[in-house]
Amino acid sequence: MQMKTFLIHTLKFFIPLLILLIPLDYVLSYYLSQSNEYPGEIEVWNDIYQSKATCDVAVYGSSRAWAHINPEILKDSLHAEVYNFGMDGHNFWLQYLRHLEFLKHHPQPKTIILSVDVFTLQKRTELYQQSQFLPYMLWNANIRKYTSSYVGFKKSDYYIPLLRYSGKTTSLKTILKNAFSKHTEEKYRKRGFLGLDRAWNFDFEKAKAANVTYQIKMDSATLVLFENFIQECRNTKTELIFVYTPEYIEGQKLFVNRSELMSYYKTISEKYAIPFYDYSGDSLCLDKKYFYNASHLNKQGAEIFSRKLASDLKARTKN
Amino acid sequence: MLFNSIDFAIFLPIVFLLYWFVTKGNLKLQNTLLLFSSYFFYACWDWRFLFLLIFSTLLDYFTGIKMSDAKSASSKKFWFWLSVSVNLGFLGVFKYYNFFAESFASALENLGLQINPWTLNLILPVGISFYTFHGLSYVIDIYKDRIKAEKNFIDYAVFVSFFPLLVAGPIERATHLLPQIQKRRTFDYAKAVDGLKQILWGLFKKIVIADNCAEFANLIFNHSDDYSGSTLLLGALFFSIQIYGDFSGYSDIAIGTAKLFGIELLRNFAFPCFSRDIAEFWRRWHISLSSWFRDYLYIPLGGSKGGTWMKIRNTFIIFIVSGFWHGANWTFIVWGALNAVYFLPLLLHNKNRNHLDVVAAGKLVPTAKEFFSMLLTFLMTVFAWIFFRAENIQHAMSYISDLFSGLASKSSYVETMNLIRWQIGYGIPLVIVLFFSLEWLGRENQYAISQLGKTWKRPMRHALYYALIFAIFWFGGKEQQFIYFQF
Repeated sequence: MQMKTFLIHTLKFFIPLLILLIPLDYVLSYYLSQSNEYPGEIEVWNDIYQSKATCDVAVYGSSRAWAHINPEILKDSLHAEVYNFGMDGHNFWLQYLRHLEFLKHHPQPKTIILSVDVFTLQKRTELYQQSQFLPYMLWNANIRKYTSSYVGFKKSDYYIPLLRYSGKTTSLKTILKNAFSKHTEEKYRKRGFLGLDRAWNFDFEKAKAANVTYQIKMDSATLVLFENFIQECRNTKTELIFVYTPEYIEGQKLFVNRSELMSYYKTISEKYAIPFYDYSGDSLCLDKKYFYNASHLNKQGAEIFSRKLASDLKARTKN
Repeated sequence: MLFNSIDFAIFLPIVFLLYWFVTKGNLKLQNTLLLFSSYFFYACWDWRFLFLLIFSTLLDYFTGIKMSDAKSASSKKFWFWLSVSVNLGFLGVFKYYNFFAESFASALENLGLQINPWTLNLILPVGISFYTFHGLSYVIDIYKDRIKAEKNFIDYAVFVSFFPLLVAGPIERATHLLPQIQKRRTFDYAKAVDGLKQILWGLFKKIVIADNCAEFANLIFNHSDDYSGSTLLLGALFFSIQIYGDFSGYSDIAIGTAKLFGIELLRNFAFPCFSRDIAEFWRRWHISLSSWFRDYLYIPLGGSKGGTWMKIRNTFIIFIVSGFWHGANWTFIVWGALNAVYFLPLLLHNKNRNHLDVVAAGKLVPTAKEFFSMLLTFLMTVFAWIFFRAENIQHAMSYISDLFSGLASKSSYVETMNLIRWQIGYGIPLVIVLFFSLEWLGRENQYAISQLGKTWKRPMRHALYYALIFAIFWFGGKEQQFIYFQF
């Protein structure tokens, strides 16, 4: 009898919590997905999951894609719909996840422009900006498969509603802000792009003064995935183009094995006959005024570069 | 399997339901289930060390019987020392070997002799200090004829391995726990509800208080060279609150879990932060270990009976050994010695048993004298915790030196305020204040919320528990290891 009472009381206490798990998860995810803050990753995910990113030309890459390649300029020049899927701070491993999720909700694009750089084939250990996955990751097999190898989420976070929000105070504050403040429709990134109107930040000078150098280690699993992706593009008859967007020329010297990485891209592009547009020696790279740090063009630089790229791609189409 | 993990949240209800529904009150089945569940729980950490636990259990079980059956004193002595030396031998190899090898090499280096110490790359088996002490108390009690040897292996093995206390205590006594294991347990509604409440409070202490304090304590201790005066004081305060929340939270979860199975474990904490002197603090902090050392080391050494020098010697021995029990590092030894220094004046002036009651019992606020003695005692413990938390003695000394030299500088306070404003925020300090307020209000009970809301209507009471669950959700997710698991 005592046990029966105990079980009934315990269930009465926990059942409201269990019943609320899914609706609360939905509400939190909904309000978090309303975020239009830096770096705008959630907006891109929303466009993907709401099938609003249909395009003929898809731009993939990191921040060196989303801050450098303006889809509007490419659209005007190529007369094709363009969307920039550049993913802040992440390498090819998670860029591929975005590709998979994009294909779940959209038709295959005709062309993929892949912005490659020294970091593309590296893999971070921690799940940088993990909050971008929170609204979409519950019971999502692709997100689980591609994010679980990072230090970030626990296994239960992918399966149990609400649990992944525990302790994510920054995201919870954003949710409260989105729920209780007037919502603005203005987006941070447009079709995935934003030219950053920033001044040179002197990080490069600090690194140079401290004699900082970088040795980039290519991740073996990413290399396999990279070649599989190339094969997948061939199988689906999707045109794949490599683009190495401009880098400040002095900054290139900080990477001790840069030539090795560049030669890898050249070898792959020759092996699979992939056009490779390398702008790392372009005249833009010589002038700091087009950059806000050694790896990123500012708004002015991005606009000039996007026109150059559009013109080169147009010339190629004509040929 | 951590107490604050999803794995444990699945494991516990399964064992609970099997225990009460499948065994149907059959004592043999109840104990067998508890033993296998405990071994499964332990194997989840590292299954290889399960063999060590079983070996240690078998050793004490057989030596216990041999001692009970011994025909002569010398035979009894032989089995006793065999058990003690093997138990301490394991502890010595796994926990202290590298420390002694390195300390010996460094002592020789000071004499101009260079040797490369042969160190072992060993993982410390989780809970070894706790279950070794369980076993030791058992064989000592048999040797001293305080108890008879347990003939039922399952019962004895449950005494050593009962999963709530297996990895970090409370350190049980055969006289207290074995009789409960030998007796058929029937379900007690009030005890089970009390257990659930204590688990909830323990989770709150661990996840909300300790884990969040740990973030800032780690930040400040790991970069102590970058900080000064008041920020270092803040770091020491955070660590003091962390270790209290962490270990007392763990103990609450362990005791609460045991209650669900109808078993009462020894109390481990009795609101030590409200102690009026250091002697009271040690009666309220990690009670099961303090009383273990009192009964099995301090009293056999003569306790406080002999002359002044004997009292001083015994006090230093017990505190230093207690410090050393925590880990193979000079920092723990200094922490122990410092507590002995705090304690000695009280002992020598016969003031060590001045405060046996609960401070300001029946009153809402303490007197000014009580308040200042609590504050002074708390600050003394905060100072000692610096040694406990520091990486090594040099780190502790530089931490203390920077702390005191910086306290006079205004820039240090600006630095602290900026750290609070930009990194710590006001949420956690506010929650800590609320936590200590609840602790103060509930200080006359077993744990802070045990009586809170007992007269309230159920929805109100549940609202309080939901609020605690909400706090765990909001402030959780830090996933810090329990500090005492490393001991």
